[in-house]
Amino acid sequence: MPTDNKRVRRPEVSQSPSVFACRPAAVLPAAGPRADGRRRDQVDVRPVFVRCGLVSQAKGSAYIEAGNSKLMCCVYGPRETDRKDETDMKCGRLITDMRFAPFSCPERGSWIQGSEEKDLSLMLQESLRPAVCLHRYPRSQVEVNVMVLENSGSVLSHAITCASLALADAGIEMYDLVLGCSIRQDGASYMVDPTYLEENGCSSGSEDNQGRLTVAFLPSLNQISGLQSDGEMAEETLTAGVRTCIEGCYKLYPVIQQALAKATRKAAPPPSES
Amino acid sequence: MAGLELLSDQGYRLDGRKATELRKVQARMGVFSQADGSAYIEQGNTKALAVVYGPHEVRGSRSRTLHDRAVINCQYSMATFSTAERKRRPHGDRKSAEMSLHLKQTFEAAVMTQLYPRSQIDIYVKILQSDGGNYSVCVNAATLAVIDAGIPMRDYVCACTVGFVDETPLADLCYAEEGGGGSSLALALLPRGGQIALLQMDAMTACKGVSKVLDEVVRQHLQDVSVLTRE
Amino acid sequence: MATVQVSEAEKVYILHGIRDDLRVDGRSCEDYRHMEIETDVVSNTDGSAKVTLGHTVVLVGIKAEIGKPRPMVPDEGYLEFFVDCSANATPEFEGRGGEELGTELSNTLYKVFNNKRSLDMKSLCISPGEHCWLLYVDVLLLQCDGNLYDAISIAVKAALFNTKIPRVHISADDEGGKEIELSDDPYDCVRINVENVPCIVTLCKVGHRHVVDATLQEKACSVASLIISVTHKGTVTCVRKVGGGSLDPESIFEMTEAGKRVGKALHAPLMKLLQQEESLGKKRQKVGFLG
Repeated sequence: MPTDNKRVRRPEVSQSPSVFACRPAAVLPAAGPRADGRRRDQVDVRPVFVRCGLVSQAKGSAYIEAGNSKLMCCVYGPRETDRKDETDMKCGRLITDMRFAPFSCPERGSWIQGSEEKDLSLMLQESLRPAVCLHRYPRSQVEVNVMVLENSGSVLSHAITCASLALADAGIEMYDLVLGCSIRQDGASYMVDPTYLEENGCSSGSEDNQGRLTVAFLPSLNQISGLQSDGEMAEETLTAGVRTCIEGCYKLYPVIQQALAKATRKAAPPPSES
Repeated sequence: MAGLELLSDQGYRLDGRKATELRKVQARMGVFSQADGSAYIEQGNTKALAVVYGPHEVRGSRSRTLHDRAVINCQYSMATFSTAERKRRPHGDRKSAEMSLHLKQTFEAAVMTQLYPRSQIDIYVKILQSDGGNYSVCVNAATLAVIDAGIPMRDYVCACTVGFVDETPLADLCYAEEGGGGSSLALALLPRGGQIALLQMDAMTACKGVSKVLDEVVRQHLQDVSVLTRE
Repeated sequence: MATVQVSEAEKVYILHGIRDDLRVDGRSCEDYRHMEIETDVVSNTDGSAKVTLGHTVVLVGIKAEIGKPRPMVPDEGYLEFFVDCSANATPEFEGRGGEELGTELSNTLYKVFNNKRSLDMKSLCISPGEHCWLLYVDVLLLQCDGNLYDAISIAVKAALFNTKIPRVHISADDEGGKEIELSDDPYDCVRINVENVPCIVTLCKVGHRHVVDATLQEKACSVASLIISVTHKGTVTCVRKVGGGSLDPESIFEMTEAGKRVGKALHAPLMKLLQQEESLGKKRQKVGFLG
């Protein structure tokens, strides 16, 4: 394990005081409105704020804010591949890298990419890959870097949305935008776009059907490009969950479209009539 | 020697063997179908798996290519669960790098590399269960795998470890004996010519024992193959 | 993973065969290849299993160690997964080449076991907040011939079934501290209840249909596959789309249904086989790699 000597590291064993605080374990209320006033069992996504092109040095960039979750994404390329031995003559490579800022989660994280971040990067790659016309960029690579600034739940789904927006902003040819949505299944009810507490809290009710599900969706092609779940769910619940997520993606679609149109208009203003 | 009595007064060792007695050797060639050559060997409780790929084009940087002979590339690794205490990484530590180098040197001496200029032969050895004598078991396994791959060798390479208890040589040490203090030496030998590929020690008799067993296994395998081809 | 080159004509042949529910090796779309399972193959471990599926060979070793429980869940033990893609499988995995695939596989295993039902983690606790068992599940890939996920999950289940954790007694010493005593009798051990441990089913979308247990050739014809881990009751603990392509929502629903059906049917014969092998006890001829 390589250690980074340039940074001041914390002591070998230290724990966040929150672990020792005598608080009741985060239990999700089984019924009633959610903590932030949204309704359960409804496709009630958090209002999102999106903006393109905020990092001037990157080819394309995007920032997304949903509730307290804040993410930004930069896209670099297409450029020559780093690893010459893996150059593909027919198809370009999409490289994704997703990281949490050390201060983004309740407990401080490490600067070094952990296995969870590697897993998220892979999921991001597999979700974006079907949407990008990589055959248009032979022998080159496109890099997508996502940084989570504040983790308040559903990071992967927002990272997917943010990254596809940044790719579009970079002018990379794509078949479609990719939108992400996730749900938290809690017994018979579900919560769309869960917050950090909703995502990780344990349930008060039955132990059946406890799970998390993230879907990446191409809205105009009606294709699912990414799917991931954990926990334990019945197959019917899972299928219903996927349908709910698709609905959630459709709710997000106009917002993302608008943001992209706005950025494009700004970058290339329509010729003034004179 | 503290604690353990490696050789009893009656001349028996911890596991009931005599001083020059080998552990039970069982081997099988052609364990895997995808590799060019493979072999599995059990020597007592030490179990190793060897796989040979090649000869093929040199992978990676071209500068490693040799114009008069083949490059031998060895990797020695241990399964994380092979030792009594769990290993954190299967390979990449100093000990396995050293072991890989020893294997490479041994097989450079034995394989007729000049027959395959500008190519590479990969020998990968994995210890599945470790109970002493890892190096020698690896060499024996790799020999069988190279033979299975049909790569010409000058001779079989047979290896054996030897330890000493008061001038009495103990052949084919097990883990307890290796850890029990005293010197232990590994020797790789090309038995026909009596040439030594890695280390010298007066443990010839034991090594010939291994070579005999290896020889039998190879013959048996060849017989099996010839029977199969005839049918 | 021996790289396979499949020509266009071969692809069409495979595709048409699958359309008619007849695959190149004569199986139908929901059939597995020949599978061999053997437990207790490495005596240095607390539990081990070797699974051969077609030409895919996987060896799993489990070691139990005493550790400290995680502060968030002081009354539970935990599992650690490690997948070693050894160079034995393919020269590409030499050095650090196999690490990427290894993390991908182990992360999926963490997800598959990330629920309260699969394993009773509370049974792995020795004394809350102080000591617990942590099980190191080490997977060793020896040969890859497609369908790694299924082979690994079956091997993990078999190895967990085979795992024998030594019984420990906690006794208080004079100063009020606790001391852990390991039972002297090596046969005095605890077994793990593996009834709810899920098995992974990988469904490969080829053309308009999907196949179970795809070979490398079939995988080369497919753009995306879905992995589903199913328990014996038919509940799903993990779903994941892998591969570079995308899937129609309808086909995903079809695939989950098929995955559930196939996975559910997999458990009963597996458990029967494991119990049968167990009942033979010492009489069983150990084959290992010599068979």
